Amino acid sequence: MATGKRFKTLSIALTAAMALSLTACGNSNNNEGNTSSSSASPSSGSTSGGDSGKKVTITFQNIYPDPTTPNYKMVRQLVSQYEKEHPNIHIELDTLNTDQQKVKLKTQAASKEIPDITMVNPAAQMKPFVDAGLLAPLNDVIDKGGLKDTYQAGLLDYYSFNGNVYALPDGNNIEVVFYNKDLFQQAGISAPPTTFDEFLQDVKTLKSKGITPLAIGEKDSWTGSFLFMNILLRTNGGPGFLKDVVDGKKTFNDPAFVEAVDRFQDLVQAGAFPDGATSIDANAGGNIFKSGKAAMWIIGTWETGAIDASSVAGKVGAFQFPTVDGKGDPNEFMLAPGSAFAISANSEHLQETKDFLNYFTLNLPKTQFDLKNAVGIGQKVDGDLKAAGYSDLAITVAGLFNQVKGGDLSFDNTMNPATSQVHLSSIQNLFVQKVDSAQVAKEHQSAYESNK
Amino acid sequence: MKVLKVPARTIAVFVLPCLVLYVCLVFMPIAVSFYTGLLQWDGITGAKFVGLANFKTMFTSDPIFWPAVRHTLLYAVASMLEIPLCLWMAIMLSRHVKKGNTLVSIYFTPVILSIVIIGQLWKTIYNPVSAGGMLNGVLVALGLDSWTHNWLTEPKIAMFALYFVSLWQYFGYHLLIQYTGVQNIPDEIYEAAKIDGADGFKADLHITLPLIVPIFKVSLVLAFIGSLQAFELVMVMTGGGPAHATDVISTHMYNSSFLSLKYGYGSAIAAFLVILCLICTVIINTVMGKLERKFS
Repeated sequence: MATGKRFKTLSIALTAAMALSLTACGNSNNNEGNTSSSSASPSSGSTSGGDSGKKVTITFQNIYPDPTTPNYKMVRQLVSQYEKEHPNIHIELDTLNTDQQKVKLKTQAASKEIPDITMVNPAAQMKPFVDAGLLAPLNDVIDKGGLKDTYQAGLLDYYSFNGNVYALPDGNNIEVVFYNKDLFQQAGISAPPTTFDEFLQDVKTLKSKGITPLAIGEKDSWTGSFLFMNILLRTNGGPGFLKDVVDGKKTFNDPAFVEAVDRFQDLVQAGAFPDGATSIDANAGGNIFKSGKAAMWIIGTWETGAIDASSVAGKVGAFQFPTVDGKGDPNEFMLAPGSAFAISANSEHLQETKDFLNYFTLNLPKTQFDLKNAVGIGQKVDGDLKAAGYSDLAITVAGLFNQVKGGDLSFDNTMNPATSQVHLSSIQNLFVQKVDSAQVAKEHQSAYESNK
Repeated sequence: MKVLKVPARTIAVFVLPCLVLYVCLVFMPIAVSFYTGLLQWDGITGAKFVGLANFKTMFTSDPIFWPAVRHTLLYAVASMLEIPLCLWMAIMLSRHVKKGNTLVSIYFTPVILSIVIIGQLWKTIYNPVSAGGMLNGVLVALGLDSWTHNWLTEPKIAMFALYFVSLWQYFGYHLLIQYTGVQNIPDEIYEAAKIDGADGFKADLHITLPLIVPIFKVSLVLAFIGSLQAFELVMVMTGGGPAHATDVISTHMYNSSFLSLKYGYGSAIAAFLVILCLICTVIINTVMGKLERKFS
C-alpha cells in the first residue's frame, strides 16, 4: 500500500512536470513567431495590463526590421519619446519584414485577434479587414491636433471606406527610374531616354557593354508587376485601366493590355534583366543596383534614402518612365500611397492606442525630416531640403513629386487577391519564357471572371 | 511479456494528457480543416458554405493543382528510389570500411543543418555564372559551357534541381537508418552462412535483405510522407516559381490560403493532402507487409 501511495505521488509530480514543460514549450513558440521583438508575447502583454487601469501595453506591429534604415530609427525614437512622456504606457514592438507581416496579420485576422496597431495596404488589400469589422474608424484620431490637415490632399481617400478613415499612411510614393550616371557614361549614353524605343536601345547598349541594364528581384513577383503596370499606364494612354475592367468597360483582352505585354517581352528579350531574375528576392535585386552592378532600377521612391546610404550615393539620378509608342504622359506615375497604420477595433485599450497613434503620426514628419527620410512621406513637411543637407537625388525626386499629374495604384492594391496572384505569376512567367501575349490577356480575363 | 502491475487510473494519468493533446492538436485541426474546405472563405470576412465546390474546382479547373500533384508524387518516388542506394552504401560501408561510423556521421551532416540554410547554400551554388554560381562556374571551367543552365529559373529544370538538393540532404539520414539496421544483424549469422558457403552478394541476398525489410520499410514511409509534405525547401529556393513551375501541393495550399486569400480552397487542398498521405501509407504498408511475410 505504501509503495502504491508513493507511486501515486510520483505520478502526480510527473504529470505536473509534464504540464509545466508543455507550457514552457507554448511560450517559446510564441516568442519565435515574434521574431526580433525583445520579450514576451504580444497578445498576453496587452491583456494583462488593462484591468488594473495603470500599466498599459500596446502592441505595435510594424514592417521596419532593418536597423540601417531611417524608418527603423524613426519608430524607436518616437516610441521611446512617448513612453517617457506617458510612464504608464508601454509600446511593444512586433517587428517583421513586409511579407511575414502580411501573412501573420492574415492568420491573426482569421482568429479575430489582430494587434492594437498593425499595418495594412490601401484599397482592395485592406477591404476584407474593413468588411470584417476588424479595424477601428479613426475619424476622431485625425480630427485631434489638426492631424487631418497634415496629410497630402486625397491621400486618406485610399484608406477610407463608407466615409470613415481606417488607416493612416506612412508614405506616398511614386515609381521612377533610378539610374547610375557613371554606368550610363561608361556605355556612352548621354541623356536619359524619353521614349520606350530609346529606352530599349539604351538597354541593348548597356547589355553589349556587359552591364546589367535593369536591376530586379522577381522572386517576389510584385516587383515585375510594378514595372509592367508602368508600361500599361502608358499604352492605355493614361490611368484607370483596371478600374475600367472592374466597371465592365474594358476587358484584359483590350489592345492596350496586349501591347503592354508585348512591350514588356521586348525588354526581357533584349536581356534587360539579370540572369536568373526569378530566383532573386526583392532586397537582393535592389542590391544589384545599390552595389553599382546594374545601370537602372525601376522602383518606388521609398528607396531614395536607402540609395543615398549605399555605395552608389552621389552617382544616381532619377527620371520618369518614358512614353510608349507615343502614348501616355511621363508625368503620370505608378502611385504607391504607402503602407498604413491601423487600429484593431477589438483593442482592449482603444483610447490609449488612439492617443498614441495620434501622437505618433503628428510627430512623424519632423522626425523623418531630421533623419533625412522625408522624401516620399505622406504628410506635408516644412523645411528646406537643400538647407537641411539632403542629397541631389532626394531633391530631384522631390522635384518629380511636384510634377505628378495622377496615375494608377499597383495591381494588387486595385484587384482582388485571387486575380492578383494569377497576374503576378503570369508576369513572372514572362521572365522565363516567351509567351503569346493574347494568351496572357485571356488568362487574366478568365481569372478575373472566376474570382469576381 | 511482463505486465506492469499498475491500476488503470495511474496509466490514465500518464496517457491522458498526451492523448488529449494529441486529439486537440492533431485530430481537431484536421477535422476543422476538412470542414473549412467546404466553405468559400477569405479567412477574414464571413464564410459561405459551398459544399464540395472547392473540391470540384480543384479537380477540374485549377491549372496549377495537377502539375503540383505530379511534382509532389515525382518527388516522393525519387526519394524512395534513393533508399536502395542508401542500403547498398550501408552494406558496403559496414563490410569494407573499418571506421564506417565516422563516414556515416559525415554523410549525416546536411540533415542537421536547417532547411533554410541548405536552401540558401544551394541557391548560391545554382546561381548563374554572372552571380558567381559554383556549379555553372565549374562547368565553364571544364569547357562545358553548353551545359550551364539557370538551374532554378528554367521551368523545365527547376523542379529537378530542387529534387536533387532534397535527396542530397536526406541521403545521410536514410544511410544512417540503413547502416544501423545492417550493423544490428548479428555477426554469428554471417559466420554460419560463411560456413555453409554463402558469402558476399549471396549472403546479402539471403540474410541482409530479409532481415532489413522492416528497417527498409521505415525509411520508405518516412521518405515518402516527408516528400509529400515538402514545403520549406521549395519556399526558400523558388517560392513555387517561376510561374508555378515548382509548386508542390503544400506550396499551392499556402499560396491559395494566404496570398490569394482563398482560405476555404486552401483547406480543401490540405484535406486532399491528408487523404493522399493516408492512402500512400496504407499502400506502402500493405506492399511491405507482404514482402516481410514472404521473406520470414
